[in-house]
Amino acid sequence: MNQFLKKFINYLKKIGDLSFGIFCSIGEIVLFFIECVKYIFLDKFYPKVFLAQLIKIGYNSLPVVGLTSIFTGMVLALQSYTGFSRFSAESAIPNVVVLSITRELAPVLAGLMVAGRSGAAIAAEIGTMKVTEQIDALKTLSTNPYNYLIVPRILAGLISLPFLVFIGDIIGVFGGYLICTQVLNFNPTVYLQNTFNFVQFLDVFSGLVKACVFGFIITFMGCYHGFNAKGGAQGVGMSTTYSVVSSSILILLTNYILTSLFFDL
Amino acid sequence: MRRLKINIENLSKSFSGKNVLKKLNLKVYESESLAIIGESGSGKSVLTKCIDGLLDYDSGFISYDKIRNIKELNSKKKNAYMTKFGILFQNAALFDSLTIEENLRFAKKDCDLSKILVDVSLPKSILQEYPSNLSIGVQKRIGLARAILKDPEILILDEPTTGLDPIIGRQIILLIKKLVKKNKITTITVTHDMESVYEFSDYTAFIKNGKISWYGKSKDILKSRNKPLINFINGIY
Ligand SMILES: Nc1ncnc2c1ncn2[C@@H]1O[C@H](COP(=O)(O)OP(=O)(O)OP(=O)(O)O)[C@@H](O)[C@H]1O
Ligand SMILES: [Mg+2]
Repeated sequence: MNQFLKKFINYLKKIGDLSFGIFCSIGEIVLFFIECVKYIFLDKFYPKVFLAQLIKIGYNSLPVVGLTSIFTGMVLALQSYTGFSRFSAESAIPNVVVLSITRELAPVLAGLMVAGRSGAAIAAEIGTMKVTEQIDALKTLSTNPYNYLIVPRILAGLISLPFLVFIGDIIGVFGGYLICTQVLNFNPTVYLQNTFNFVQFLDVFSGLVKACVFGFIITFMGCYHGFNAKGGAQGVGMSTTYSVVSSSILILLTNYILTSLFFDL
Repeated sequence: MRRLKINIENLSKSFSGKNVLKKLNLKVYESESLAIIGESGSGKSVLTKCIDGLLDYDSGFISYDKIRNIKELNSKKKNAYMTKFGILFQNAALFDSLTIEENLRFAKKDCDLSKILVDVSLPKSILQEYPSNLSIGVQKRIGLARAILKDPEILILDEPTTGLDPIIGRQIILLIKKLVKKNKITTITVTHDMESVYEFSDYTAFIKNGKISWYGKSKDILKSRNKPLINFINGIY
């Protein structure tokens, strides 16, 4: 009986430790968030670093985002044709393609791709700087690491993701157009008419707002995990994993929340 | 007449339950060169990071000139405080996405870099290189240049010769000796290497079990009867 009690108490202790740990990390993330927001408005801004990050996070992600979008648009057209032709509603395909792409697929897929690409790179770079004492060196050289490392990356994420998603929207719709006109023998003019007459400002806009939020999540999580990396190469590896996993989960979660908010509008 | 610069009293620091520094006392005097020696993991780097403000300590205090306790500084004053230090980090800590020139510009914006390069005996062509293309010996010399370039009040050298072959190590020691003696900078050197102690450190503090177990003139070390210190020195030689 005593044995059982001990095991039970141990079990409770583990649950306690775990929940305590979770609350600690949430607290740390909130503090880091406050610090980041503070330094967006405070002290020095580094335009050169910001531009370099815009290119890294935005411009260099164009190929992956474009590729994801075009294939998604193509697959979407094929699949909805399979479904809709069963009750002769093929004419709804352009609507389905443009709605799914602009509202959901382009922002979420671009977010996940950029999280894997740029979020991991940010965590690895900042994590390496942390464990090799480069961040300490910055501090003693009168450079605030928040201003120099974190603010430019977060701003670059906030700005470049909507652009990427907008381009992804166009390419995705073009993918659907390609399949419908070349493979399924749709009339090109009718397809385009159906697309543009149907899509509303809010469809595109909600996608772009989502993109902004995802851009923040990706760069923020990359910076946070990099900044808290510990103990050499292994620690840096772990920080990149955490950054990709946490930002992917947060993207899916906030996507649901944002969709339900926009849905009410 | 020695002038007190930094006074450390009852300094304690622990990491998740592990006590690294336990009520440590130490004084650093102006224009003197102090060596801190001790086994690996004894807390030498932690001590220097408490002094230069990169780590917060748990209890005790560190006073610096007129500042009573540096822990009480607000974040703005703390940032200003940290800039008083020129630090050569254990692995040089050069910014590896920047060229050597950009690295040095972090310490001082507008100045002629060729003079400092002569001081650390490196050619001018090195300015366009990236740190990852350079050997660790050269990286440490750049790190030293970057630390000195900002005219620090205190120079902190964390193991300047570790990981170098004896010849390069010797070069760095002579270089530091020249720079430290010429400019009369207050210097704190963390080291495993007794040659740095004898060559350019006026005083030596031996750290053991989180405390300073021996402190005195470097030239008196061999006369010491402190058992752990004797063992430490014999272990090295
Ligand atoms: N940020 C940290 N988090 C947790 N533990 C730490 C941290 N920094 C140092 N320690 C621990 O403090 C102890 C002292 O470390 P420190 O780096 O000061 O040793 P050292 O005397 O400089 O050794 P070395 O000669 O190897 O550089 C070590 O046991 C180390 O594990
Ligand atoms: Mg050390």
